[in-house]
Amino acid sequence: MSDVGGHRSAPARGGDVIAATTAEVIGSSPIERTEAGDALEPEHELLTVNMGPHHPATHGVLRLLVSLEGEEVLDLKPIVGYVHTGIEKSCEDQSYWKVIPFVERMDYLSYFFNMQAFCGAVETLLELEIPPRAKYLRTIHLELNRLHSHLFWLGTTALDLGAISMLWYALRERDTILDLFEMATGQRMHTRYFQVGGVFEDIPVGFEDKLRAFCTEMPARIGQYEALLDRNEIFLRRTRGVGIVPRERLLELGVTGPLLRAAGEPWDLRKAHPYLAYDEVEFKIPVGTVGDGYDRYRVRMQEMRESVRIIEQCLDGLPEGPWITDERKVVLPPRDELATSMEALIHHFKLVTEGFRVPPGEVYYPIEGPRGELGCYVLADGSAKPARVHFRDPSFVNLQSLREMCVGGYIADLIQNLGMLDPILGGVDR
Amino acid sequence: MNEEFPYLKDAEEVVTVQRGPEPGGAKGAYRAFGETLRGLRTTMARLIEGPMTIQYPEEKTPVYPRFRGRHKLHRFEDTGLEKCVGCSLCAAACPADCIRVVAAENDPDDRVSPGERYAAVYEINLARCIFCGYCEVACPFDAITMGHEYELADYNRGDLIFTKEMLLAEPVERTPLRREGE
Repeated sequence: MSDVGGHRSAPARGGDVIAATTAEVIGSSPIERTEAGDALEPEHELLTVNMGPHHPATHGVLRLLVSLEGEEVLDLKPIVGYVHTGIEKSCEDQSYWKVIPFVERMDYLSYFFNMQAFCGAVETLLELEIPPRAKYLRTIHLELNRLHSHLFWLGTTALDLGAISMLWYALRERDTILDLFEMATGQRMHTRYFQVGGVFEDIPVGFEDKLRAFCTEMPARIGQYEALLDRNEIFLRRTRGVGIVPRERLLELGVTGPLLRAAGEPWDLRKAHPYLAYDEVEFKIPVGTVGDGYDRYRVRMQEMRESVRIIEQCLDGLPEGPWITDERKVVLPPRDELATSMEALIHHFKLVTEGFRVPPGEVYYPIEGPRGELGCYVLADGSAKPARVHFRDPSFVNLQSLREMCVGGYIADLIQNLGMLDPILGGVDR
Repeated sequence: MNEEFPYLKDAEEVVTVQRGPEPGGAKGAYRAFGETLRGLRTTMARLIEGPMTIQYPEEKTPVYPRFRGRHKLHRFEDTGLEKCVGCSLCAAACPADCIRVVAAENDPDDRVSPGERYAAVYEINLARCIFCGYCEVACPFDAITMGHEYELADYNRGDLIFTKEMLLAEPVERTPLRREGE
């Protein structure tokens, strides 16, 4: 900021000078900000606006410090940390099975994915193989969760773009999914259904019929959403050609998930490094061509169709057998044994009070979440509590690309870009 | 395509999504009316499906048998004694640390529970509870289970600390329950 006067003679629009000046404006003191404003020609007035942290369109408590010249976004800086809860630190204080309800609450729209990332990491450390039925049940619930997450994205983002009825339609199907979760796991959100070694209990009677009915209905519902949005002139104008970031730049920024696939890179961990039952089912990776908001929308819609296909194949191929491993050092004994077997009771007491011990080591276990690569890093020191749990949350990494999407565009496009980015602030801050 | 993306095993695995039409122009003017009408047709066709909502306070959402609502403590039906023996396993299992158990020795002439000890104090802070159900899983005597009650709002935080008597009492209003497999 020392050389404000030096900018006076430079052209006020378009050049690097503006970028440099506004970069300094953000985060500087009010006095310096006035000086930077003085540096511009009188007809170009810079306006620094705080969008959020309580703006409905930020989909959470995200604060965006935006420099505006008229309606044009000159610079933007996301400020995160408003829902920082210290979950990762809290995890170090809990035994492994008690970490599961904690990590679920990070990215609150993809709780099954958080659980799978953590359980998968711990299973890798334990070198534990989960039964085939557990793999299929987990895959079914993960894909239902992906549908649920994409539906919520569709409803809220379309709402931001003015299509209010989309919210009701998307939430209607989301409610059916939440009903299915409640039926199988006992809770609509934060279900703690996955446990290290498998899933908590088998799916109940009637779940399969309900899920099949849902899978038959869902493609028609997606068709209805598309009938409303695909060729709608307002939607086209708001999304087409907006927020394009080149594929190479997205890769540099570490962006994954639908954002990257919309730009044409078919990177999907379900295909690249298959886990659970994903190598046994057939599905395709939807990719876009340009990478604008419209491609992001189409990629996600197509992903929902693929998710339905995966669920149907998993239901068809669902193997019989146990749904949790019988490794008694890790998994709680069956309830009926508690009354008859002293050994089972001792194991039960030991597992509930102390938990199981994990051999020392570290592991990074990535899966494909609804927003991109969701990785869980677990450092075990041989005790019953993890020494470190860290999540690579896709929302946080993807948020870095927001500035490049928005700079040079209108402020209305900022809303669209943020919506199509789909950050979940619980996952960003953790 | 595979040279460009070496991790891709089969180019058939990728499907390129359609691009929508370019906005604006004469076709854009048509779409402003035509596609809006088509959207309206989609909306109007939903009318026959009827409302999905219910009149909530009068009509309650039925819950599934596995639903985890407010906790319940249980007694033996024949003797009327409390099932809880104050072993504190539920408190040890709770990730949110919301259960407080203080055990006391049973008086053989005036038993509270069939075991050696009983829970003199049993409190659950429902403001902290995350309804994970680990207490139910941990309890070796089925003394605590997750009930089906979900209307738990109150005016004071202190009122959300449920004592043993409150947890043992039958809920005032029963939550409608779906049958198994419904």
